[in-house]
Amino acid sequence: MYEDIKLKYAVSRRMFIKQLSCAAFSLGLMPLPAQTAFKISRGTAYAATSEQLKEVMFYKKLPDLKVACEICPKNCTIADLERGYCGNKENRGGIYYTLIYSRPCAAHIDPIEKKPLFHCLPSTRAFSIATAGCNFECRFCQNWNIAQYRPEQIENMNISPEEVAAAARRQGCATIAYTYSEPVVFYEYMYDCARAGKKAGIGSVMISNGYINEEPLRVLCKQLLAVKIDLKSFSDKFYRDYCSGELAPVLKSLQVLKELGMWFEIVVLVIPTLNDSPAEIKEMVQWIYKNLGPDVPLHFSRFHPMYKIKNLPPTAVNTLETCHKIAQAAGLRFVYIGNVPGHPAENTYCPRCRKILIQRMGYAIIKNEINDGKCSCGHPIPGIWKLPASL
Amino acid sequence: MKVCFQRRDFLKLLAKLWIVVPGMSRAGVVCAADTLKLRSQPGKAQVVIAKRPGVLNSSGEVSVSLVNQMIEAGITALTGFSEVKQAWRSLFNPEDVIGIKVNAMGGRSICTHHEVAFGVADSLVKAGIKPYNIIIWDRLTDELRKGGYQINRDKNSLRCFGTDNDYEPEPETSGSIGSCFSTIISRHCNALISIPVLKDHDLSGVSINLKNFYGAIHNPNKYHDNGCDPYIADVNAHPYIKRKLRLIICDALFVQYNGGPGYRPNWSCLYGGLLFSNDPVAVDQVGYQIIDEHRKNHGMKPLAVDGRVPQHIQSAARLNLGIADPTKIETVYV
Repeated sequence: MYEDIKLKYAVSRRMFIKQLSCAAFSLGLMPLPAQTAFKISRGTAYAATSEQLKEVMFYKKLPDLKVACEICPKNCTIADLERGYCGNKENRGGIYYTLIYSRPCAAHIDPIEKKPLFHCLPSTRAFSIATAGCNFECRFCQNWNIAQYRPEQIENMNISPEEVAAAARRQGCATIAYTYSEPVVFYEYMYDCARAGKKAGIGSVMISNGYINEEPLRVLCKQLLAVKIDLKSFSDKFYRDYCSGELAPVLKSLQVLKELGMWFEIVVLVIPTLNDSPAEIKEMVQWIYKNLGPDVPLHFSRFHPMYKIKNLPPTAVNTLETCHKIAQAAGLRFVYIGNVPGHPAENTYCPRCRKILIQRMGYAIIKNEINDGKCSCGHPIPGIWKLPASL
Repeated sequence: MKVCFQRRDFLKLLAKLWIVVPGMSRAGVVCAADTLKLRSQPGKAQVVIAKRPGVLNSSGEVSVSLVNQMIEAGITALTGFSEVKQAWRSLFNPEDVIGIKVNAMGGRSICTHHEVAFGVADSLVKAGIKPYNIIIWDRLTDELRKGGYQINRDKNSLRCFGTDNDYEPEPETSGSIGSCFSTIISRHCNALISIPVLKDHDLSGVSINLKNFYGAIHNPNKYHDNGCDPYIADVNAHPYIKRKLRLIICDALFVQYNGGPGYRPNWSCLYGGLLFSNDPVAVDQVGYQIIDEHRKNHGMKPLAVDGRVPQHIQSAARLNLGIADPTKIETVYV
C-alpha cells in the first residue's frame, strides 16, 4: 500500500513552487511569538507568598506536614519545603502549591499541525503555552530547556487563564494548546485555561505524555477538545531507562481516552536502535488496533539528537517508512510520518479510494478535500473537522 | 658517567616541581590538600568537633565570638597547625577563589547560620585570602536572603548570592546523574568549602555534607528515588566537587533528628558544635551517628529501623570519595 502512495507522489515544477510558497507561509506563521504583550520575569513564582499561589487540585495531606501528590502515577510523597519530581509544585507547611499557575514560560501561535494533530481543525492556529517542569526525564527531550528546569531557573510570564483565552481569541486561534513541556504538571493552569477558553468559544488540546492518573484525566477531559499522546515506546524497560517513567499508565490513559470518546492522536518518536525494532513496532500497532481501533491517527516522527542522547544519528527515513508499513499492515488507517517535510506520508488518504484528502507540506495545508467529514467517495473520515458549536 | 633517569625518578621530580612552583594556583591547590591528607594515616579519616554549649543563648541568638573561637579551634586541630593563619594556608592559597556552599533552604530556623559562614570567610580573609575571592552561595538568592544573609554581588568585596539561573548550558553526566551544574562551581571557584547543617531528611535519611551539593545542580527533584541513592554520591563524584572540595564544616549548632528537611522545632535541639573534616564521607558518617544518638535519646527508632538508612554514605565511600567505616574515623573533640 505504501508503494501506491509513492507512485502517486510525482512532484511537478508548478507543484514544487506552490509547495515552496506554502512552506514559506507556514514558516512565516510560526512560531508567532505571542508573549510580547506580556511581562517577562524570573523567579516570581518561587518568590510568591502562599496566598498568591494556587493549591494543587489532586493531592492529600499526610501526617507530619507531608503531602501525597495524586496527579500523575509518580505519586510523589513530599515533605515540607520539598518539591515533587516535576519540580514545579512545592509543599509549604503541609499544603501543596503549584508554582507555575498563570506563569507560562512559552506562548506561541502555532499551526495545529505542529502539535501534531492532523484530524483536528486542520489549518487553524493554536495558541500554544507551556510552563517549566515535566514528570518524565526523557534523555532525548526536545524541549529540555524548559521541561527539565524549575520555574525559578527560567523566564516566566504572568498570564491568567482569562488573558490566555482573550489573547487566543484576539489572535484568531481556534484552540489553546498545552504543549512543549508536559501539561500534566501544570494541570490546574491548563484546567482553568480550558474552562476560560470554552467560555470564549475556544477549544483546548492537550499535547501530553499521557502519564496521568485516571481521575484527574477524566475530570480534565470534560474541558478538552482533543488530545495528543506521545507513546515513547512499547517497552516498559525503555520507559524506565530512558524516560524515568512506566508504560502501563500511558496505555491506561489511552484506553480511558477511547472510553470517553475523546478525539486523540498518537505520536511515536522513533529513535535509532532504542525503540525502532520492527518486532516492537508490530507489537505496539497490534495493541493500538485491538484496544483503540483502526481509526486513531498514528504519527511516526523523526528523532534528532538532543539533550542526553547526542550520540545517535537522526532517524533514517526508511526506518520511518518501515514503521509506517508495519502499522498499515496491522490495519491502522491513518498512519503518518513526521519531521520529514514533503514526505507523501504527511498526507491524509481516503482508506477506501486512496485519494489524497489533505495534502500537507510541513505544517502547511496545500489542499483539503474533506467535506462534512467525508471523502468525495462518501467514506467518513474520523476527526474534528469544524469547531463544535457547543464546546 | 651514565645518568639513569628512570620513570619513577621522573615522577618524583614532577611531584616536587608541582609542590614548589609558586603561582600555579591549580598546583597549589593539590599541594595544600595533600599536605592536609598527610596528617591522617592512610585509609583513615578525622572529624574534629568543636563544641561550645553556650554558643546559642536562651533566645536562640548566636554568639559570634564563640563561633569564631570554635572556627579557630576546629581548623587548627584539623590541620595540626597552632596558628590559625598557617592552618588556613595549609588548605588554601592566596590566589584561590573559594566558594562557600551553605544550605539556606528552609529559612532562618534551619539553614546554615550566617554567623558561621561569614565567620569562616572573615577568618580566611585574615589568613590572606582576598575578600573578593570568596563567594558564599547556595541555589537561590531568595533563599539566602530568607536565611538572613546579606546579598552582595560587588566584585570588589566578599560576595554572597545564589546560582539562580546561572547554570552550565549543557547537562554533564556523573554516574547515574545528568545535570547542569552551577557556574559558581564550574567557572568561578577553584576551591570549595561546604558548610551544611545537621538534619534528618525524609528521603535520604540525613542531609549533611553530601546532600548539600544537590544545591549545585539544576534538577535535584529528578534524583529523589531510592533514598536519593546513588544519585547523591554521583553528584559528589563530579570533578567540579570531587576535585575542588577541600574542607567541610558542618554547622551543628542545632541538630534536627526527625521530620526534615523542613524545620520542625519539636524534633530539633541544641548541639552547640561545628564538625570539621576534609573527608566528605566521614563527616556525614559522624553526623549520621549524632542524629541517631539523638533519636535514641528521644525514644525514636534509629534511621535504619525506620527504613531510612542513608545509603548514599556507603555509595560515596564505594566511589572512593571518603571513608564511611566508623572504625576508621577518628573523632576529636576540642
